[in-house]
Amino acid sequence: MNLEELEKQVTRLEDIQEIEDLQRMYGYYFDNAMFQEVIDLFSENTESVEITDHGVFRGKEAVRKMYGGMVGVPRPGWMFFEVMQSQGVIDVAPDGKNATGRWYTPSFECRPFGGTQKQTWQFGVYNNEYIKENGRWYFKKLHWNLTFWTSYERGFLKVPKLSDTPFPNADAPATAYHPYPSGYHVPYPFKHPVTGM
Amino acid sequence: MATLEELQKRLQRLEDIKEIERLQRIYGYYRDYGDWEKVVDLFSDNAESVEVADHGVYKGKEGVRRYYIDLIKGGKDKKSRTGVMSIALQMQGVVTVDPDGKHARGRWYGFLMEARPTLSLHEGEMRQTWGHGIYENEYTKENGKWMFQKLHFFLNFRTPYEDGWLKTPVVGQSGPSRDVPPDAPPTTWHPYPSGVRFPVHFKHPITGK
Repeated sequence: MNLEELEKQVTRLEDIQEIEDLQRMYGYYFDNAMFQEVIDLFSENTESVEITDHGVFRGKEAVRKMYGGMVGVPRPGWMFFEVMQSQGVIDVAPDGKNATGRWYTPSFECRPFGGTQKQTWQFGVYNNEYIKENGRWYFKKLHWNLTFWTSYERGFLKVPKLSDTPFPNADAPATAYHPYPSGYHVPYPFKHPVTGM
Repeated sequence: MATLEELQKRLQRLEDIKEIERLQRIYGYYRDYGDWEKVVDLFSDNAESVEVADHGVYKGKEGVRRYYIDLIKGGKDKKSRTGVMSIALQMQGVVTVDPDGKHARGRWYGFLMEARPTLSLHEGEMRQTWGHGIYENEYTKENGKWMFQKLHFFLNFRTPYEDGWLKTPVVGQSGPSRDVPPDAPPTTWHPYPSGVRFPVHFKHPITGK
């Protein structure tokens, strides 16, 4: 093996590590209500952000629209999100500039619901895209699919989702919103590691 | 093109991260089974401290031993109480290795499922609980091996299965022990619903702030 080949292999591992860190840091920033830090993780050439049934928000401007309203807004102590970024599978394209990532997110939450405080369980799946610009990895596309959003007391079989939450200022309606019990499978971004299909 | 020396450094950093992730996850497997002697051996002889929830700060390797063996285990020869279960999933690790390659920090989420007494650490009625908290730990590399230098766990909530965090944020709040007293009081005891967020150790990957 020559040095050039070795550098390619090392770079690929560094890329995967950096992307995993990016996604996990996104989680910590989000849960800590550090929304300016969240916005700064997105490329200026961001394609879109789509979360549950909020709808599609296109471009970096839309990222600011999505998270900007929450920057610096104090959150009451009882309100929280702990969205655990788990089980990441990262694929870096041969060009070393683009990548995909799949993640699970089990979550504990407490947020206002119809004027009352509600404790909820939530679960979802990310299919995200990342881009390397000026030597750094950024989010290019973020898409979170809701599996269930249920009250702590009742559970996902009884209450798969507490309500629909479309945002009126979205650029387009949600492209995929199929919570439990639809049986919907969020498409895999990766190829089968053995058969290559 | 990179030189061999540069590549070696880059590869070393990746190996360090993987080894620290492994250390933290193995800590989780040992603690879940109450293998406290093995847990103590994961700490450097030059360990700074261990601080968990509201127990207070235990300093030095001797403090680490007092915390895990005397307090948590309940004594060197104490057998685990029948029915006690503690699972703390070690999740979402972000590990930052210092440029010198000898020191590192790591942030993790701990996601807990437990069956445990709540009147005190070892006595009283057993409850089934959900818990959540954040680790901000420090690691040191000595003689080519990564070890804990400091372990610090900030508890968000520990709630009975039947209630949830909104109704009962914390059960089993025992406070600093009188029998095995800490070297200093708790520094970050701010469970839900305080709204206090445990600061992140890492710098923003884009802005560097």
